Formats: sequence, structure tokens, C-alpha cells
Amino acid sequence: MRDFELLVAELANDASAIEPAPHPFLLSLKLIGIAGVYLTIALALSGVRSDWVRAFGQPWFVAEIVALLMIFITASLSAALLSFPDLHQKRGLVFAPLWVFALFMIVVSLAWIADDPPAALPEHSFQCTSCIILVALLPTGWTFYTLRKLASTHHQWAGSVALLSAFSVGALWLRLQELNDSIVHVVEWHYLPILAFCLVGLWMGRWLLKW
Amino acid sequence: MEKRAGLEGLMRRSLEGDKAAYAELLRETRRLLGPYLARRLSFESEAEDLLQEIMISIHRARHTYDGKRPYKPWMYAIAKFRLRDYLRLHYADQLRHAEDISGLEDILADVVTETGISYESISGEVLKLPERQAAILQLMHQEGYTSKEVATKLGMTESAVKVAAHRAYKVLRQKLER
Repeated sequence: MRDFELLVAELANDASAIEPAPHPFLLSLKLIGIAGVYLTIALALSGVRSDWVRAFGQPWFVAEIVALLMIFITASLSAALLSFPDLHQKRGLVFAPLWVFALFMIVVSLAWIADDPPAALPEHSFQCTSCIILVALLPTGWTFYTLRKLASTHHQWAGSVALLSAFSVGALWLRLQELNDSIVHVVEWHYLPILAFCLVGLWMGRWLLKW
Repeated sequence: MEKRAGLEGLMRRSLEGDKAAYAELLRETRRLLGPYLARRLSFESEAEDLLQEIMISIHRARHTYDGKRPYKPWMYAIAKFRLRDYLRLHYADQLRHAEDISGLEDILADVVTETGISYESISGEVLKLPERQAAILQLMHQEGYTSKEVATKLGMTESAVKVAAHRAYKVLRQKLER
């Protein structure tokens, strides 16, 4: 009891006025805004695919890009919520990336079925994954830096969702930059590696977001 | 409802730098967490240690609370997080110190009160053992209690008594063989 009173006195003495962390909606908007600017700069530097007008005339391509964009937005929001100990008491929204990811898988499956006759496979393979990793490095660093300032009690999930958000930026960039229509290639070298990196995120979250 | 508003109000004032409000909030938090931890941990000292750790965590994470949402879910989220961490470490530690189960199968079947060495001849060495082990050997060999009776007397399980006795014999054997 005496020890506890000493601790209370010590903590109270240390408790100067403090600015509360921004609301998770604002925080996710900040993450989305910065990543959006970064994506625009990356596309401006690398150039948009030359057939973008034709590509945006294809409904499955548009659906895929929209679903990817939704994954990025919901993952950013979920990462922001997961960085609060109580998930800012919005537990339902934390799971939004799961539902959007399920929708994304349906879209990709339907695009795969619609790819008849199948588009020619490009000659490259793992280079796409490497490009996504390179583009995702900065958003990964920025997102983890932002989340570390808060106090996640779900650090593994927060790490995984943070990587999903960062890698969806990389995937968006590559899909808008690369002249490629093969959905088989896209699934194999763009989207499956993202899933693998979400697992890496569980581990990264455990080490980087622990407090 | 009044209490809830009270906790949120105290936290809001704490965030503005009101030290007295903060001290009051921590005391209220202790009042809420005390029974919560006592139900989940066996020893009072463990609960007290963890409670202090939770208080420090609350202090470090106080910027993630804005005073606009209920305080209790926020506070319990941190408490659960630290409790989970504590239990994970606790059980990992227990596993590290656990005996090999195949070894225990032989020990548990033994009659631990018959060792072939008289207690009196080694009582000096027994007293140098850890307190709990010394008490067990004393009860079994000097006062003639069975392992079951010792277990009841010391508030342990019979298996735990046998394991502790076995460890004590091991140490004694090593000392006597020197």
C-alpha cells in the first residue's frame, strides 16, 4: 500500500499537461494523404502505363484498382485504430480490411474467369515483387513510425495491417505503371507476395510496436 | 453514470496537468483493478507487482485517451494486455524450470519417505536447502508425515511435494558423494 502511494506520487508528479493523440480518423487521413502524395510522385517519376485509357475501359481492371484502393484505405484506418489500446472503442471498423480483402479476392477471381483467352504472361517474374517491396519501403517506415508513437495492445495485428496498407500502395503503383494484362502473373507475383508480407508484419509488429 | 463521468472528468483534468486529479484517478483505477487481478492471479504479491506495472503503462499511454470516450474500456484494455504479457512470461519461465515428464513418471511412483539414509545424520545439510524443501524433508523424515499429509499441511499438491523432495534428495546426494 505504501509502495503504491509512492508510485502514485511519482507518476502524478511526472504528469504534466499532455496533448492527446489525434483521432484515428484524422490519423488515418494523414497516412492516406501522405501515401497518396507519395504514389502520385512515384507514378509521375516512373510514368503511367501507356495503355491506361484502354485499361480503364475494362470493367475488371477498374474493379481491381477500386478494390485495391479500398484495401489501402481500410488498412490505413484499421492500423490507426489498432494503435490505440482500446481500438478507440470502434472494434467493428478494425475488421474492415478483412471484408474488403474478401471482396478483392472475388473481383480477382472473376477477372481470372473473364481472362479468356488468357493474356500472354510477361517474361519477367520476381522483379515485380521486388519493385513492390522497394516502393512499399517508405510507406512501411512512415506507418510504423506513426504507430510507434501510440500504444497498441494488438501489436502483431497492427504490424500486419500496416504492411498491408504499405504494400497495397506498392501494388497500386505497379498495376498503374506496368503494361501487363495477365491476371495469372498479377496474382502470382503481385498479390500473393503481399499476403506473405502480411505474415511478416505480424512478426515486425511484435518487435517494433511493443511498448 | 455519475461515477463514469467522474473517471472521464478526472482523466480530462489529468491531461490538462492537474496532478491531484491524476493521483485520484490512479487510486480509483487501483480500486477497480485490485479485485480484477486478484481473481486472475494466485498470490497477492504477484497482483500487487502487476498492478504497479499497469499503472506505469497507463501513465505512458495516457496520450492515447482523449477524455471523450468511456475510461474503463481503455483502462481494462491496458490491464488485459499487461496481464497477458505477464502470464505468458510466467508460464514460459515455469516451462523452462519444469522437470522432464518422463523423469517424473519414475519419481511420482516412489515412496519418498524411504531413502535409506537417516535424517539425523544429514540434518545439517537439510537445513542448508531452500526453506520449502527443508520443511518438506523435516516433516516427512523427522515427524513422519506422508507426502499426502505434507501436501495438505503446506497447501501444495502431492505431486509438487514429491518433486520438491526429489530435487532435495538430488542436491543432498551430490553433497554427500563429494
